[in-house]
Amino acid sequence: MTDPAIVKAPWGPEVDGRRLLGEAVGFGRSLRAAHLSIDLGAAVDFARALTLVDIADREQVRAAGAAIFVRRRDDRPVYDAAFDRWWRRRAGSAGQEFQPPSLRREEEAGAEEEAPGATPPEPGSEQATLRGEERGTPIPSDSDEGPDDESPIEGVVVSPDAYSRGEVLRHREFDRMTPAELREAERLVDLLVPRLERRRTRRYELHNHGRRLATRQMFRRNLGTGGQLLAWVWRRQIREPRSLVVLCDISGSMERHSRLLLRFIQALSAASEVHTESFVFGTRLTRVTRLMRDRDRDRALARVADSVNDWAGGTRIGDSFRTFNQHWARRSLRTSGVVIVVSDGWDRGDPTIVAAETARLRRNCHRLVWLNPLAGTPGYQPLAGGMRAAYPYIDDFLPAGTVASLERLGEILGGVRAGDTRRGSEAAAHAALPPDTPLVFGLPGVVGGEPVDPRTARPLR
Amino acid sequence: MRDRDQRPAGTRSIEAIQDDFRSRNYIADRSVATAVFLALELERPLLLEGEAGVGKTELAKVLAASLDTRLIRLQCYEGLDVNTAVYEWNYPRQMLEIRLLEARGEAERATAHDIFGPDFLIRRPLLQALEASEGTAPVLLIDEIDRADEEFEAYLLEILSDFQVTVPEIGTIRAERPPRVILTSNRTREVHDALKRRCLYHWIDYPTAQKEYEIVLAKVPDAPERLAREVVAFVHRLRQADLTKVPGIAETLDWAAALLSLGARELAPELVDETLGVVLKYEEDIRHVRGDGTRRYLTEAAAGG
Repeated sequence: MTDPAIVKAPWGPEVDGRRLLGEAVGFGRSLRAAHLSIDLGAAVDFARALTLVDIADREQVRAAGAAIFVRRRDDRPVYDAAFDRWWRRRAGSAGQEFQPPSLRREEEAGAEEEAPGATPPEPGSEQATLRGEERGTPIPSDSDEGPDDESPIEGVVVSPDAYSRGEVLRHREFDRMTPAELREAERLVDLLVPRLERRRTRRYELHNHGRRLATRQMFRRNLGTGGQLLAWVWRRQIREPRSLVVLCDISGSMERHSRLLLRFIQALSAASEVHTESFVFGTRLTRVTRLMRDRDRDRALARVADSVNDWAGGTRIGDSFRTFNQHWARRSLRTSGVVIVVSDGWDRGDPTIVAAETARLRRNCHRLVWLNPLAGTPGYQPLAGGMRAAYPYIDDFLPAGTVASLERLGEILGGVRAGDTRRGSEAAAHAALPPDTPLVFGLPGVVGGEPVDPRTARPLR
Repeated sequence: MRDRDQRPAGTRSIEAIQDDFRSRNYIADRSVATAVFLALELERPLLLEGEAGVGKTELAKVLAASLDTRLIRLQCYEGLDVNTAVYEWNYPRQMLEIRLLEARGEAERATAHDIFGPDFLIRRPLLQALEASEGTAPVLLIDEIDRADEEFEAYLLEILSDFQVTVPEIGTIRAERPPRVILTSNRTREVHDALKRRCLYHWIDYPTAQKEYEIVLAKVPDAPERLAREVVAFVHRLRQADLTKVPGIAETLDWAAALLSLGARELAPELVDETLGVVLKYEEDIRHVRGDGTRRYLTEAAAGG
């Protein structure tokens, strides 16, 4: 009797297909432990692929696995590390002649289970590959494998956001969020989202008040009358909120404000209607979009704190912006989103870089809003090195750091009706100023150049 | 599991794909060839990501040529909908048909099928790919999927899993042989995970200098070897520079061809400055490189290569 699971592999000997499958599933599981998103289907595909390639050829198996398991470029280093580990374990001690990994397998694949207390996944912060300086540091997990040391599914994995050890890390823990704060942040976002500037998409919906003829539907509807156009059908463009990109300064000088702002960004990320990409920067830029989407908000912020190693350090606005422009602008601002920078503009770097990179940033986006916690101070003028350099390229310059100022942000972002351009919004900002307010540099008006008192802040309409 | 012995002998292996592609002037490294091989064997769509101009689209063309089959291309853009991607009724023709039936006095006896029949259906790329029945399965290239919006991606998901389309008036059209699907993305946004899960994935990186040199020689056969080597070394140096948009292979090839047509045998600073627009497409990049940058990069490229 031949077992249908026995397949003849190209390298000769017959291999038990079920073992192969077990092997593939095991590998898939260890990849999952390394925070790649792997489903069972991919593992099954991998098992099939193993019957198609030369299983003794390490690079071929690696390439096959990469085609199946890797779904983002940034995952590739993680995959490679996990693969090497898996292969070493399967192939046994060096120098020994290679045998197809699956033939050496002793135990049943289904036996291993990940320990319930395994390290929770830390979705990749893409900066790891961007920086390109580290290949990840193994993070031991508490996967409980029992005495069998050779078990393939041991959860020792490589995390994409492990950072290089040499660096002196400055950590900062967030306090737990109080329910009141949570409500406050959510209320602000609830107010903000429906008011966000909308973008016309290239899709249409039928609508009686549309201004364009829906020719296709009109022909269709009028076929019944033999092509006499009796009923007219109209369509209009669908609008959706512009995507938001938030770049939040978390350097030392921003320490007092960053907590509230991060809460706000978090609430914004949770709003499903609008696509928000979030980054934090001090001396370097870190993408935290996916961390921010965690449903457990306190855990999310704790992870942001963990993934960032320049808390409360110095600021390099220009370099951070450059990283954004080079690696993220094209990917996150595709449909000309709105960029919100949160920073006090204190910068250790070269102001000319700040100016050049802010200009580039501005060219890449639909609208550049700068929130500055200092701007609420009476008589504030944007004179700090970085701020002064960036200032000419900013559409809206606003105070930040207080709840009232975030309400103001809602007004600015939402108050611009669709169709208004950034020139229009500048004009609107100028117009909102009291006639006597001096305009700094004569460029975009400092909205909120006067102190903002929560009690007198303009109510949202 | 498939019985491997029933497949015609020697049809497909990673090496064969590599060799065949090479004979068609496409230099594929092993990992690309493996991805293509698995996509063909597992009958999965292959999602190719990479910077602009690294040969993603070209791969689909070469694959179609290599399989000796048709290439059906769907260029994606925002707002791409079923009517432009899958099918549309030929309304003017339907109107004419109605008039014709009326003129012949047959309008009363006519049924919906007389108007909503295959004759009146305009087949767009996806339907063409599913309907192709004669010969081998076509290669369906869904180009720049990242330009399409999420609505279209969701629709594509449906097609790629079942390889069938339902036209309400006609019925369900199912592919006899599922087309070989290649999707490309420049990663101007992340393609949705659900779609990625259906596909094999490969990131095409910029080639090594040696590989790019081979590509230049293959694609611009008249180029002197020295020129080709210098061009490649210079472009490689440019890729490390802080530029808005670094040149892809396409730019390297264009540049080599441009220099060749200028009768150049080797790179000189003035020549580079004059033709920089072929390689760099942003004014600020050109300004950054021209003059001193050119000289410095040339020296460094010469030293490195």
